[in-house]
Amino acid sequence: MSDWFSFKVALQTIKDYWRITIILTLLFMGIAIMYSSMYPAFKDVMLEMMESGFADSFSAFRGAEDMGSYVGFLNIELYQIFWILIYGILIGFISASLISKEIEAKTIDLLMSNPISRKQIIFEKYLGILPLILTVNFATFIAVYAVTLAINEEINVGYLFLTHVTSIPYFFAVAGVGLLISVIIDEKMKASIIMIAIIVGMFIFESISLMIPDYESLGYISLTHYFNPHDILTAGNVDAVGVVILVVVILECILVSMFIFERKDINVA
Amino acid sequence: MDIIETKNLTKYYKNIKGIENVTFSVKKGENFGFLGPNGAGKTTTIRTLLGFLTPTSGEAYIFGLDSQEDSIDIKKDIGYIPGDLNLYGHLTGGQFLNYFASLRETNMYLIDELLSIFEVPLERKIKGYSKGMKQKLGIVQAFMHDPELVIMDEPTAGLDPLLQQEFYKFLLKEKKKGRTMFFSSHILSEVDKICDRVAIIREGNLVALEDVDTLKYKKGKIIRIKIKEQLSKFKGPKQIKVKDGWIQFVTSDDIDSWIKKLAKYTILDIEINEFSLEDIFIRYYEGRQ
Repeated sequence: MSDWFSFKVALQTIKDYWRITIILTLLFMGIAIMYSSMYPAFKDVMLEMMESGFADSFSAFRGAEDMGSYVGFLNIELYQIFWILIYGILIGFISASLISKEIEAKTIDLLMSNPISRKQIIFEKYLGILPLILTVNFATFIAVYAVTLAINEEINVGYLFLTHVTSIPYFFAVAGVGLLISVIIDEKMKASIIMIAIIVGMFIFESISLMIPDYESLGYISLTHYFNPHDILTAGNVDAVGVVILVVVILECILVSMFIFERKDINVA
Repeated sequence: MDIIETKNLTKYYKNIKGIENVTFSVKKGENFGFLGPNGAGKTTTIRTLLGFLTPTSGEAYIFGLDSQEDSIDIKKDIGYIPGDLNLYGHLTGGQFLNYFASLRETNMYLIDELLSIFEVPLERKIKGYSKGMKQKLGIVQAFMHDPELVIMDEPTAGLDPLLQQEFYKFLLKEKKKGRTMFFSSHILSEVDKICDRVAIIREGNLVALEDVDTLKYKKGKIIRIKIKEQLSKFKGPKQIKVKDGWIQFVTSDDIDSWIKKLAKYTILDIEINEFSLEDIFIRYYEGRQ
């Protein structure tokens, strides 16, 4: 077991991503500030539009029915689109290159000439991406809360915090799937693009399942199905089963990635 | 105990043969050269030894440990210079060496000595390095922890002649300390200078495994002669080559008997040369022996 915990590869991975971490933190803080501070200007229009059935066009998203309220507005504009989808895509994109990048650049040869196991490389590379996820997550929470105070809107800070806490298993699971893809596909860009397709595909499946009741079961294969910011933001309802499923996905992805990587011939032709 | 030992090591890439039944051993303190034309299986052998590839059949042991099962223990005392050397471009030379030093978890006994021979701009990002600088950094990282065995895949590629000499000097010094070197090469003069023994691989199979000196001795001498008489009258061994009036043949027999035989002719010119390693290798590479 001792070879699992030297954390040198994890530490280097964190260093490798620190610049991206800062950029994404600023980006998502900016987006959060923009959308939450935009609400007062849209408030009246939104309420009017809600009455005219405007929300129907957002039926692919959860919680479209109360888009008129501040929390409902944040849910759709910020959490459903920029958080679950866009940030999910970015995390997927980055994590899908964790291993494939080293294989494509042929640096894996030198890395593996050190006394570290393949399992350890997988585990630590995965660990190395988590601080990025956590930093952006926490910063976004702070940004939303600060703007909410500044514009005098109502939000339950406990529910807001809970939303960001339950974001963690969701994004960790996205990174887990990305890791798995990065082990299977040896080309960085190909792996990342496939991962984007998976995220968008899952989002579409979930949307279809929300819009067409007959296809409800389609949503079960989507990670987004197990993380519902709307219910948490508005009522503090955490889908506990969903969280468990996401944790299982994370563990499965890491273990399967290790299993595949252990048996893989490292070809750098 | 042998430092490296392989038994019928075989690697197929699906149906394509990489190497087949490669058996050899490398003793402690030996400089072992691994030679062969491009695509012969040198890199496949090295990558299988290092556990990057799983052998289709056969076994490989390093320090008496199984190259697959005990890969981590083995790597504690190994240095490696890949043939297609790729380093982390986004790191500076110094950051890269620190990262690898932290992974090795041992003292970097030789780092100062290495950096004084193989100077590299440690503050600069590796992506700005020239090929030669990268190669130097590759050498430094392979030797910095003073490992028992260093496996090198064409290590002098990209080094200028002066640095090549420094590198040979360094290798011989390491050898004196009892370190073992395994390296593949194309440069025959370096094999001649550095290696105690060589293995020659062709189309995935070992075709020779000899002491360098024996190899040269066994191949005898090349005699080239120009005679006044008609060429058809010349009686030599079966395999003679005639070119531009020169008769050329190879002999491993006693030179004296040949000189006496040749005395019958009117000799216009004569050359007797040692077989160069190059001649030997070309014969092996072409599949003649």
